Amino acid sequence: MMNKLWIVFGLLILLTGCYDRIELEQQSYVIAMGIDKTENKGVYAFTYQIANPEVGSAAGQGGSNEPASEIVTVHGADILSATYTANSFVSKKITLDHTRIIVISEELARNPDFIRVIQSASRSPQIRRGVQLVVSKEKASEFINNNQPVMEQRPHKYFQFMLDRADQTGIIPAASLHRFFQITEGDADLFLAIYASTKKDKKQEQGKNKLEDEYIAGQIPQLGGSPTQFMGAGVFKEGKMIDTLDGEEVRIVHILDNTLELNNYLTTMPDPFDPEFQLSYNYSQKQNAKVDITYHQDKPTEIDVLVPFQIEVIAIPSLIRYAHDQEKQDALENAITKRLEEKTMEIIKKAQEQYKSDPFYWSLYIRHEFTNIKQYEKADWHKKIFPNAEVNVTYQLDKLEFGKMLDDSNLDRVRD
Amino acid sequence: MARLLQKQQNKAEQSSLKDKKVAASLKQNMQDTKELFGYGVNKDFAMRSITLKSNGKKGILFYFSSIVDGERINLHIIKPLLTAEGDRIKNIVSIENIEETSDFEKVVQNINSGKVILFVEGDTQAYAMDVADFAHRPVSKAENEVTIKGPQEAFTESLNSNISLIRKQLHNHSLINEGIQVGERSVNEVNVIYIKDLVNDDILNNVRDRIKNIKTDNVRNLEILEQFIEERPYSLIPTILYTEKPDKATSYLEDGYVVILMDSSSACLIVPVTFWSFFHAPEDRYLRFFYGNFTRSIRIFCFYLTLMISASYVAISNFHSEMIPPDLLLAITASRERVPFPLIIEVLMMEIAFELIREAGLRIPNPLGPTIGIVGALILGQAAVEANIISPIIVIVAALSGLSSFAVADLNMNFTIRLMRFIFILAAGTYGMLSLTGAFLLFLMYAASIKSFGVSFFSPMSPHFMSSEDTIFRKTVRKEIFRPTYLHLKDIQKKPK
Repeated sequence: MMNKLWIVFGLLILLTGCYDRIELEQQSYVIAMGIDKTENKGVYAFTYQIANPEVGSAAGQGGSNEPASEIVTVHGADILSATYTANSFVSKKITLDHTRIIVISEELARNPDFIRVIQSASRSPQIRRGVQLVVSKEKASEFINNNQPVMEQRPHKYFQFMLDRADQTGIIPAASLHRFFQITEGDADLFLAIYASTKKDKKQEQGKNKLEDEYIAGQIPQLGGSPTQFMGAGVFKEGKMIDTLDGEEVRIVHILDNTLELNNYLTTMPDPFDPEFQLSYNYSQKQNAKVDITYHQDKPTEIDVLVPFQIEVIAIPSLIRYAHDQEKQDALENAITKRLEEKTMEIIKKAQEQYKSDPFYWSLYIRHEFTNIKQYEKADWHKKIFPNAEVNVTYQLDKLEFGKMLDDSNLDRVRD
Repeated sequence: MARLLQKQQNKAEQSSLKDKKVAASLKQNMQDTKELFGYGVNKDFAMRSITLKSNGKKGILFYFSSIVDGERINLHIIKPLLTAEGDRIKNIVSIENIEETSDFEKVVQNINSGKVILFVEGDTQAYAMDVADFAHRPVSKAENEVTIKGPQEAFTESLNSNISLIRKQLHNHSLINEGIQVGERSVNEVNVIYIKDLVNDDILNNVRDRIKNIKTDNVRNLEILEQFIEERPYSLIPTILYTEKPDKATSYLEDGYVVILMDSSSACLIVPVTFWSFFHAPEDRYLRFFYGNFTRSIRIFCFYLTLMISASYVAISNFHSEMIPPDLLLAITASRERVPFPLIIEVLMMEIAFELIREAGLRIPNPLGPTIGIVGALILGQAAVEANIISPIIVIVAALSGLSSFAVADLNMNFTIRLMRFIFILAAGTYGMLSLTGAFLLFLMYAASIKSFGVSFFSPMSPHFMSSEDTIFRKTVRKEIFRPTYLHLKDIQKKPK
């Protein structure tokens, strides 16, 4: 008995031939992937940015003259089969395990066929569900080729740092593939993808008098540095892109959507007492927004949102002494709250009237009203509930601070 | 056939000695003894004939001069016999221990174990007097189980000093030292030590039986005895604890374990044991609560590292490269670009190189010691990397796994994990994490099935028993109330009720 068992064990080891073992150096690691439309229906252009392991690692002595990454484009029907075609000119096995972002051209994203091609990403265990979806204004292959980071030579580091930081400041949403499928298949709410561009917008000239976050990618007036801008979001409804949001709007979405993280951001507003000057403050949110939905079958649903927030005023160029004056503080508080509420109502109105759905993932709060999925689907968030709902957003200032120093320099004394 | 015959012959000879009694005739006894021990040829076999003053009869003393204390023979045996009056031998000589025997076999045994035998004319009793003085080194520091805080003494090769070292720490009248004879040709004594009113009699009988059932010519020392009485000689897992520290032995005695000692071994055996005993060091208990547990946590971490780090590295990089963060992945890939071997070969090469250095370093004579360092540094170091034989990451992995293996102080357990490591590496190389997990589970299941003298290997954790809860971590000394109940002791509570 024991002997037979040993034979079985022995054969088991021999027969494996180390089944799916592959040495690390025999693989090519794709960091970014781009998908474009081609003239033929059903055929797409796939662009792979493959990291060169020897660049930037101390272990490889050679390879200093090699580029940091290799970018190849092939045509194919879906993500995985195209990788095999690409192997006709890429020497190692292309591996998608470490892909950070999938870039989709706006042209393809706005096409109803987009969901057909992205589907295969969810099937393959190779592509992680945490991969970020990026919509590029230009073609995805152009975006990847133009993206030449100056400081972060190695592409995986660049994307990691770039996306992390932009996400923290709230100007782009967290847009994982997982979230895309979750929202799309949930058939309520809107999915926001990261919007990016390497091309300067023609409207950039107009953008000059805009404030710091009212841009979408490509519009920010920029001198020097990498041409790539990550700003704003592409709005997807039912797996198809329908519009873009600018950075400010994405920040408001972050405030209202509790599934997205937002710590704090810096922004400016006209000084309420001296509109010539801009007053800049640090908006931070320690608690999640409270979303309270009262569902009515026959009349409009009520959605009440309470957002507790904190403000730290960073710069007061008008030199008004808010810190000492309670009345002025109250006025400032009102101004900030009012401004936030106005901006929020603007985007909610846009969502209700133009998109007929919400980008805030609020359908989560209504689901428990229904006993089964059929009822919930019948109630129809997209068409019936949200567009007709009465939405009230209240901002509640918890704490108003004035930075490290209470007083600014007294201009009258400085200039005597 | 010839061997079989010889065997029978030997048996006949031995059995004739077995039934032989001490004769009344002194001449007869003298002749027999001389013949048996090869008097005249055997240089250190001594005979002295004297006339007893008390009754005027003749007497003869036999002993091995090399293993007795000559001074004591002169002062405490010969001198009183020649000068003192008295009705019985026992009252004349001034030796602590006198044994009377009429069996000739006993006489032979006693001479062999360093006693003086006195035959007296017309007496069918022989007198065995203990004057043994085997050469041994003095009590010195424990060299293989180093502690910073705590007693430093180690067992020596002398049984008497070893027992004295134990009694020094444990002043208890119930501490029993029981002798059991083993061996056919050379009869050695195994000393089983226990606390009478604590120990579980089943375990004690089990130990006695196993020692008595040894059928062999000679059990020279404890290290051989260990292999005779252990449960599974083919198992990788040890079931007997071997230690050279009297304080460790004493603490086990206090908990109701059985300690086995033998002359000529500078260590003791402790039975039964559980996994935790191999993993504990006496210092854990001498250090304060947090310090002791800190060293424990390091040790259990090292235990895991040694077993798993190389295997995990092989499994993850060969089968699950998606688990490695991109930076590390690219660094490994870049460093492996010019290495000609598969990763598993690389790992095995380094692990074997480390074992080589370890074994060679142990055997090399002291004056040649520095060479091993130089050669070792070359193999495990920069040169091998620069020659593109291995990648630098492997050096880190092998060094970590080698270094951590030293943290498991017990020699037996140390070998267990060093060997298991190779099994795990091979397992990891066949199906990756899947087979590594499988191998680890099998190992765990096997270890859980092991029993040492009837005690499960992972108790008191699994199966659960009441104990002082000194398993992975220990409690403060004041909170230790119970003795390990898996031993089924006569008294399980430590403090007086």
